[in-house]
Amino acid sequence: MLLLDYQNVLIESLLRDRFAPDATPSSIDQVVSDFDNVTFHISTPNTKTQILVSIRLKCYPELLQYGAQAVLEREYGAYIVQPEAGYDFSVQVDLEKLPASQEERDDLIRRVSLLKRNAMAAPFEQAFDEYTALHEEASHYTSESAPQGVKEGGAVRAIHYREEEAIFIKASHDRVTVIFSTVFREETDRIFAKVFLQEFADARRRAIQNAPQVLFRNDPPLELQGQTGLPKVKGEMSYITFVLFPRHLTPQRREEVISHIQTFRDYFHYHIKASKAYIHSRMRRRTADFLQVLRRARPEAEEKERKTASGRTFRVQG
Amino acid sequence: MANINWRTINIDALEAESSYNFDLSTLTPAVQPVSTADVQALSGQIRQLSRGGDNEGALRGALENAPFGADEQGKSIHLSVVTEILQNIRQAEMTPILQRMYQSENGSEVCDTLMKYLYKGMAQGAPSANATTNATNARNVTPQATGFTQAGGRNFGGGEGGGQAMSVLLSWHEKLVEMVGPGSIVRVMSDRRTV
Amino acid sequence: MSQSLRPYLHCVRSTLTAALSLSDFASQASERHNVPEIEARSSPEVILNPLTVSRNQEERVLVEPSVNSVRVSIRIKQADEIEHILVHKFDRFLTQRAEAFFILRRKSVPGYDISFLITNFHTEEMLKHKLVDFIIQFMEEVDKEISEMKLFLNARARFVAESFLTPFD
Repeated sequence: MLLLDYQNVLIESLLRDRFAPDATPSSIDQVVSDFDNVTFHISTPNTKTQILVSIRLKCYPELLQYGAQAVLEREYGAYIVQPEAGYDFSVQVDLEKLPASQEERDDLIRRVSLLKRNAMAAPFEQAFDEYTALHEEASHYTSESAPQGVKEGGAVRAIHYREEEAIFIKASHDRVTVIFSTVFREETDRIFAKVFLQEFADARRRAIQNAPQVLFRNDPPLELQGQTGLPKVKGEMSYITFVLFPRHLTPQRREEVISHIQTFRDYFHYHIKASKAYIHSRMRRRTADFLQVLRRARPEAEEKERKTASGRTFRVQG
Repeated sequence: MANINWRTINIDALEAESSYNFDLSTLTPAVQPVSTADVQALSGQIRQLSRGGDNEGALRGALENAPFGADEQGKSIHLSVVTEILQNIRQAEMTPILQRMYQSENGSEVCDTLMKYLYKGMAQGAPSANATTNATNARNVTPQATGFTQAGGRNFGGGEGGGQAMSVLLSWHEKLVEMVGPGSIVRVMSDRRTV
Repeated sequence: MSQSLRPYLHCVRSTLTAALSLSDFASQASERHNVPEIEARSSPEVILNPLTVSRNQEERVLVEPSVNSVRVSIRIKQADEIEHILVHKFDRFLTQRAEAFFILRRKSVPGYDISFLITNFHTEEMLKHKLVDFIIQFMEEVDKEISEMKLFLNARARFVAESFLTPFD
């Protein structure tokens, strides 16, 4: 349980149950939550054999702008149906028309459970494509003579996927920069985050030479100049920049890299919380130890036994 | 007048008869007032002795002539002289010197005075108890980029300062207590003749 | 135990042993009251000279004795903000259990991280040398615990960071 899964486990297991050859179709009506305030609705509105999976994302309009429709159509094709009311996107799987082979079925389960990942992947894919184009173009010039557009790279794609937090993606001819903005309300969280981020930044120098470069700061990095909607209050915001190098952007690696980098924010917060929980339990135990030591300072209360007139004994309370 | 909160007035302070206004000077044995100039002259003499190699004599002289009646400035001059001598004496010489001092005439009193100086020396550079002066203290860190808010600013890293001087005082303290016992500490607490 | 810690703790121990000579003392300011004089400060003649034991600028103990109560305040070493936040948190854990700790003062004296208030009632029902033992052990272990937790946090952060970045390799 160190790394987070990319797919939604609930959807995965639910579909797997229903896809089993001996499963009897039954009606489903479940609302499932995922990271980043994403909500799924799994239901069988018409017949028990038609499973409708709908997703709601806060940033869906932005994703559409960055080509989410094309990505989703590529992934789900024929399964796409009219979005359910209140949700952004729906796919429907008919249990009577499942693919024949087990591999194809597994692939379908995998794809549906990756619904969130695929929707969020659109801006990344677009940025990676842009990088490829820019790279191609830049190879015609020397670094000095490159026209402004090639040198500077493309526009910043902003995905405001949470209330106050966002992902910014920017492609250049030699890299793709992914910037996460994240909020730490608590003093402790901020300091823990600093420790963690320092290690992220150092890991490249120490152990994993080929990892993306990680930078962090408390004020918006230069790439985000001119972005609207950045919070004005300083201090609580952290900006974490991942610089993906060409070796991460090859077509073979792309799928994996996109999936993985999406989980960063939740992974990061999850481990900060886990460390806090551990440290708290440790302090609690230590405090109990101290209490034990203090109790030793109390002399043993001697057993006081008294007798009543009838000869019965009893203990004096306290 | 209208905005005075009467509840916060300490009425005991206004009552001449109350224990709050107990005259502490009646508890203090009469001490000769000493001027700062006299303390300065004395410390000159003591330093002379110390420079001449007679650390034991210097220490004895400093402790026997402790200026109980001097003002804060005079006391701090004398304190720096005493700590200087204490630092000049090597670890191995501590116990023999203490023994000779303790066994001499008025030895117990001299040892008590030494104990007072040890505690006073360790109290030097104590964090100020007043939060407002703390805020203006230039040594304090200004809120860092992480926005430190939960507790008052503290000076990180520079904390090991004075560790060397303190460890000298601590080893003197250990050797002195070994010889004269905790009674001496009690006398430091209760003696109104402060150094 | 580090070289300078032993004499420091030794000094605290003898100071506390001397200071914990307490006797019952009813308030002179208000009748039928019996309050810790070091806190009430209503009678200056029963308050004794405060003593400070220090190891360096950042680690010191302030002992404020009086006729029926002693206030012991400890300043714990904090080398950086991680240690600072850990000390602060640990403090909160302790002070929130002050009820069970009897001698713990709910709020520390300004300039110090944690304070104990020991009255004659505590010394009457508890063994004095064990009380001293408790404070000494507390001082010893707090330092150890804080630095262990800091090491843990760093080690965990490193492991977490490397695990996340490895798939990119």
